[in-house]
Amino acid sequence: MRPSRTFRHGGIRVEGDFDWEQRGPAQNAFLPNGAVILLKQHSGKQARCVVRRGEYVREGMVIGRADGPFSANVHSSVPGVVRDIRISPLPEGGRAEAVVVALEGAFDRLGRRGERYLWKSMGRNEILSTLRDRGVVDTEAPGLPLFDLLSERQETGILIINAVECEPYLRAEAHLLADKSPELMEGISIIRKILSPKRTVIATTRSEDSSLPPPSDDGPDVELVRLEARYPQDMPRQLLEAVDGSRKFSPDDAVILRPSTVFAAYEAIVLARPMVERYVSVSGGALKRPAVLKVRIGTPIGDLIEECGGFLGPPARLVLGGVLRGHSVHDLDAPITKTTSAVIALDSEEVGSLLRSPCIRCGRCAEVCPERLDPDILFRLVKRGLRLRALELGLGYCTVCGACGYVCPSRVPLVASFAAESHSLGEAPR
Amino acid sequence: MRRAKNLSIGDAPYAFKKRTSASLIWGTAAALLPALGWGIYCFGFTAAIVVAASVGGALVGEACAGALMRRFTLWDGSAFLTGLLVGMAMPPGISPLIPAAASLFAVSVVKGAFGGLGSNWMNPALAGIAFSLVNWPAQMRAWATPHHLAGLAGISGATPLGFARSHAAAAIAGSSNMDILVAGGMRASGIDASVTEALNRGIFSPLGADLPGGYIDLLLGNKAGALGELSAILILAASVILLSRRVIRWEVPASIIGSFALLTWAFGGLSLGNGFFAGDVLFSVLSGSFLLVTFFMAPDPVTSPSSRAGMLIFGAGTGSLVFLLRTFGASAEGSAFAVIMMNCAVPAIARLDTAATRRRAAKASAGTARGGNANGAR
Ligand code: SF4
Ligand code: SF4
Repeated sequence: MRPSRTFRHGGIRVEGDFDWEQRGPAQNAFLPNGAVILLKQHSGKQARCVVRRGEYVREGMVIGRADGPFSANVHSSVPGVVRDIRISPLPEGGRAEAVVVALEGAFDRLGRRGERYLWKSMGRNEILSTLRDRGVVDTEAPGLPLFDLLSERQETGILIINAVECEPYLRAEAHLLADKSPELMEGISIIRKILSPKRTVIATTRSEDSSLPPPSDDGPDVELVRLEARYPQDMPRQLLEAVDGSRKFSPDDAVILRPSTVFAAYEAIVLARPMVERYVSVSGGALKRPAVLKVRIGTPIGDLIEECGGFLGPPARLVLGGVLRGHSVHDLDAPITKTTSAVIALDSEEVGSLLRSPCIRCGRCAEVCPERLDPDILFRLVKRGLRLRALELGLGYCTVCGACGYVCPSRVPLVASFAAESHSLGEAPR
Repeated sequence: MRRAKNLSIGDAPYAFKKRTSASLIWGTAAALLPALGWGIYCFGFTAAIVVAASVGGALVGEACAGALMRRFTLWDGSAFLTGLLVGMAMPPGISPLIPAAASLFAVSVVKGAFGGLGSNWMNPALAGIAFSLVNWPAQMRAWATPHHLAGLAGISGATPLGFARSHAAAAIAGSSNMDILVAGGMRASGIDASVTEALNRGIFSPLGADLPGGYIDLLLGNKAGALGELSAILILAASVILLSRRVIRWEVPASIIGSFALLTWAFGGLSLGNGFFAGDVLFSVLSGSFLLVTFFMAPDPVTSPSSRAGMLIFGAGTGSLVFLLRTFGASAEGSAFAVIMMNCAVPAIARLDTAATRRRAAKASAGTARGGNANGAR
């Protein structure tokens, strides 16, 4: 294994609690008494609800059907009775329907050790449609359904399994990689069957991962690359730049997947299991016992926090996803979705000073911007409504990574203004 | 619905580097205190009153400007720092009303009228200093010799820099700045004599060089001058701390000192009839307000460019202007005006920068990697 590599320009080292460690494999979290299953956990339209209030649902049963492209099936993560169907806020903003399932009855399917499906005889299209049926989506926001992500590709240059975690508090992907490496290797083989990439790389930031088992019989050429834990190493352009230093592959030539996505694909194909569970790291200074847990989709975050011993003191902020690109919530009933990798309860010291002051033009934001932009100038233009000028200066290349906001000593709301702009860009035809 | 109380809500990021603008500014102010302390030791209570008046004027100015804008901004430290810097540039015996007026002007007009911290285009402290130089030229040049040097005072009423300059024309060709000062009656202190001797014995003689007396006094601050600018070594120590903690960025000071030293070395000897490449760099750098301005006012991020190239251009311009003003200007001191002139040039430098950014953006769109969330979905 070569020494750690990284991307070229900008970037930050995020201070914080990198060190908490959980020994042993991730435990199953308690089953939620009431699972709140959002019908929009993917990038496209909300799934169509196919259950009624009072109806009994089995575990793994479809409760929402994909509605058009980029929409995905949603399954019940627990057996029980549909207690309520309500409109619920999404952590990333907006609202969607949620099905509340009160736990009841037996685990007739998923509790048991299932048979292993011999997928090698399946064709590419059969695998893809199975992934679609079982509601497998990319676990990185915004949750592109794997079917839509993979099916259009005929030829792929490089497949990168992105186990890079360069922010504090995040552990789920690395933990999954350590817990489930044989399963992940099989999952990689499944994805490779669909994509037939020229090169396959597992990218990680942790030294322990060098002890991963060699890949299985299928392909000899899965490489492990260790990268520096510099933020935003886990974003696509930076990841590709670090992994593929020779720039052999263009961004269109690369497919990047999180280990949790690969694992969901493995479960869907080999164990015939829909996507109803995921690894979540629950941590933060306000929490008693941080842990990585295996959590049913729809589990309210309050349940997980209780399971981790509750709060040490009053939390100052609850964040889903990650402190740099995540979303803050104030509702302990907010559920885990297919794309929630972490629940973070920050104490007031970790939140730090939020006091805004005027930009002092110190240039720190431009220094760290991995896309080589001048965030302070862009911010001023956006604020004055000069969006076209800002686009001329590269606003469209902002990945909303948050690095500039992290270093800004004046706490100028740079990132929020760019995020609003990038949403409006997304709506424009491209 | 279960809700946790008192949670802050808002947009990402949710983690920040601990450092805030206020802590940067207060930290800078704290680093200046030793140099100020030396000034108060040298000149006694009156010096403390001068600085207090200056800081007071700045705080009043900030409070008034803040009251008009319905903002309370005293906590950010910027008014305090401005007051401190203005006070430190004052001659020790000056009437406290002058620094108070200068700081009040600096904070309320130069900074406040443009919209407060971050919106001013001229460094407020420098503006305050320039304001008093223009309005009270005589009082601003009424220098005194430190108390503990009373017995040695030969050239009282002038700083070494001013004295050397005003007597250069009359000097015998081939003499140095130090020769002029000695001829004028300046005597080195005991410390200077012993340290110079030790250095010469230990380091310079074996190398075939010889350090004349007087420089150690300049370095330590045994001289006449503005009450906060005396001790080059304390200012340098503060600068090193701030540079190493990245509170000040190195580009501006480095390029000011580089360009100024180069010009001084090449042409500084001419006025003394010593020909080219005979300038006394050490003397020029250690005297007057050069170091304080270079490290504490010129790099003010608000009024200097923010890109590396911009900062280097800004610094080179400032260094050259300091040299020109000191050589040809109306007074011996030119640092403050040099920086103010370069403050005016910042928008032009920034335009060069944005042009470069635009070229970069155009190049990026011409085909290289495009950012975005995973797998191109945005
Ligand atoms: S980091 Fe903040 S204060 Fe510094 S230039 Fe950027 S926006 Fe302004
Ligand atoms: S959020 Fe945008 S502007 Fe800020 S550092 Fe990231 S890419 Fe650059």
